[in-house]
Amino acid sequence: MTTAKNVTAASPARRELSMPPRWTLLLRRREILVTAVIVIVVAASTAAHPYFWASGNLAFIFADSVVITFLALGESFVMIGRGIDLSVGAIMGLSAIVVGFRIQNDGLPLLPAVLLGAAVGIVLGLGNALLVGVVRLPPIIATLGTLSVYSGLEFVVTNGNQVDTIPSSITNLGSDTVLPGIPVILLLTLPFVLVSAWVLRYTTFGRSVYAVGDDAEAAYRAGIAVQRVLFLTYVISGLFAGLGGVAFLIYTSGASSTTGINDNLTAIAAAIIGGTALTGGVGGALGALVGSVFLTVTLTALSFVHVSDVWQPAGVGVLVLLAVLYDSRSRAGGTRRRAKRQRQGGPR
Amino acid sequence: MTTLALPRRWRVPAWGACLVLAIIAELVYFTLTTRQFAGHGTGMLDLTEQFAPTGVLALGLAMVILTGNIDLSCGANASLAAVIAGTVLAKGGGPGLAIVAAIAVSTLFGLFNGIIVAFVGIDSLLVTLATQFIVTSIATSVAGASPPFGFSSAFQLIGQGSVNDVPIALLIFLVIALAVIVTTGYTGLGRSLTLIGYSPRAALYSGIAIRGSLTAVFTLCGALSGLAGVLLAAYYNSAQPDIGTDLLLPAITVVILGGMDIFGGRGRIGEVVLAVFLLGFLSQGMLIEGDSSLSITMITGLVLIGALVIKFAFERNLRQRLNARMRRFRTLSRDPHGPEGHGS
Repeated sequence: MTTAKNVTAASPARRELSMPPRWTLLLRRREILVTAVIVIVVAASTAAHPYFWASGNLAFIFADSVVITFLALGESFVMIGRGIDLSVGAIMGLSAIVVGFRIQNDGLPLLPAVLLGAAVGIVLGLGNALLVGVVRLPPIIATLGTLSVYSGLEFVVTNGNQVDTIPSSITNLGSDTVLPGIPVILLLTLPFVLVSAWVLRYTTFGRSVYAVGDDAEAAYRAGIAVQRVLFLTYVISGLFAGLGGVAFLIYTSGASSTTGINDNLTAIAAAIIGGTALTGGVGGALGALVGSVFLTVTLTALSFVHVSDVWQPAGVGVLVLLAVLYDSRSRAGGTRRRAKRQRQGGPR
Repeated sequence: MTTLALPRRWRVPAWGACLVLAIIAELVYFTLTTRQFAGHGTGMLDLTEQFAPTGVLALGLAMVILTGNIDLSCGANASLAAVIAGTVLAKGGGPGLAIVAAIAVSTLFGLFNGIIVAFVGIDSLLVTLATQFIVTSIATSVAGASPPFGFSSAFQLIGQGSVNDVPIALLIFLVIALAVIVTTGYTGLGRSLTLIGYSPRAALYSGIAIRGSLTAVFTLCGALSGLAGVLLAAYYNSAQPDIGTDLLLPAITVVILGGMDIFGGRGRIGEVVLAVFLLGFLSQGMLIEGDSSLSITMITGLVLIGALVIKFAFERNLRQRLNARMRRFRTLSRDPHGPEGHGS
């Protein structure tokens, strides 16, 4: 144990001494590495099955990854701040149901629908934010509780009905393509990803999220309002989950009481694959996009080589394990121990 | 040394007392409002066999959480065990063989989790998140298009049978509970687990076999998940590949409701057992009253959040008063280990 620690402590210095070539530095950026792997997977699959490169299939892959992209985007904010939000799937489902019923029954146009979805997401995210940022419950428990509440609420709101008639003017967004292989819905998603990336990288708030996630104590001493930053990350996570609900409606043109039940962990998996660590302080918005596209591409490729759908979850699991194994930052120590140390020091 | 992280024996377990009061209150309430609930006294006992699997799962999880880790894969592991038991029975194996095979497989997956967490050093949340997906796939694949159902009555006895009106599932749960209480409270392994959860560094410096203990606790959790899966298959007389997956949330809820600290090092198994009964009777009572299972999920979540808010507010308050008193005695108030062990 001690020897292992010494090795990890010594390695940064060693890295400085011998500069690796430029391109390996580039590969250290997770987004670029994963993009490279995506290209390889796509190339290999196309070699095996030419239809993989068909514009219809590519459009399907991109459109399929949009919902998880939204969820992973919100999750990234939370995870960079060293939290976790287990309730994003339920928020997404609830938003899809609420918005879907309004579209179905009252003929709500697209823009108000998006705003309504965002509002639902923010309100539900506020629930998490209050529990974590104000009451200061551990995020994993707080969001586990809200997961139960929100998924129960999904059932109560649907009351045995389901959303199944969404006008084609809206669902067309999910199937239409601007260029061959690039669906409209992807173009609608990109601005959110880019704005998130900008917020995280270039605004005071974004830098504060990294600071809090890296070391909350140091952030506090540097004058960052730690609890306020954490509060906001959960609101943002809710907001993106709410938007994800609208994206879900557009893509699948329906929603039921179980929508999003299984997407919580997939969203976390996509964020992790995109380079956002549960240990906080690292990651980014682009990683969420790349991670979820990677998941969809790989799972589609698996089905192309006639691996049964049954094994798709296993594929996700193996990919998460590989991503984590590759990422030495998440080894030895980990969130929970550090969080514990922190909490022991702070007031409780 | 031994009292370092363990609660003092003579202190009244305030949380446990609250749980007992809550159980009595809800039993009285349901008995008064719903005629079927008490059912000549044996009704309540019969209800216990419905949540005994959750209880067994929660006991394994509680030990893992005691070390400051978590096992998200235990629910999926229970499903796999149920499916394996069902498949063995469907292929003509005896109940004994089915049970052994099921528990062996889930123990193996527990061991796998433990080895990765302890020896590779990856955070347990990530490892078990990944194995949860993998185990789910395996369970679905083994179950195939038509999952096995309709088992021999000897096998069903585990989940549905009773001895003098006491369900066998409840007896199994109580025996396991007793074993876990003894293991965590009165053995070297239990003390290691508590210390690892309380302070991994202290555990390291006091020469505790951290890796061995972690591997052991994940393996135990796997074995108990397997048992929970067998109980499930026997109770429902079928082995759907998602039969145990839904138990993960209730199990975590129960452990937290039982006062276990999610960061490890604090908590009593006895209170977790009480929480199993509290939540079990609550959900069964609501089911009998005619609520749907998903609105019960919602109530479960609300109960969890409410209980935690109360508990955290209570503890913070206590802590602050304690710190103020300590400051008066010019003791280090910031040192987390200082005021901890001495009580008020």
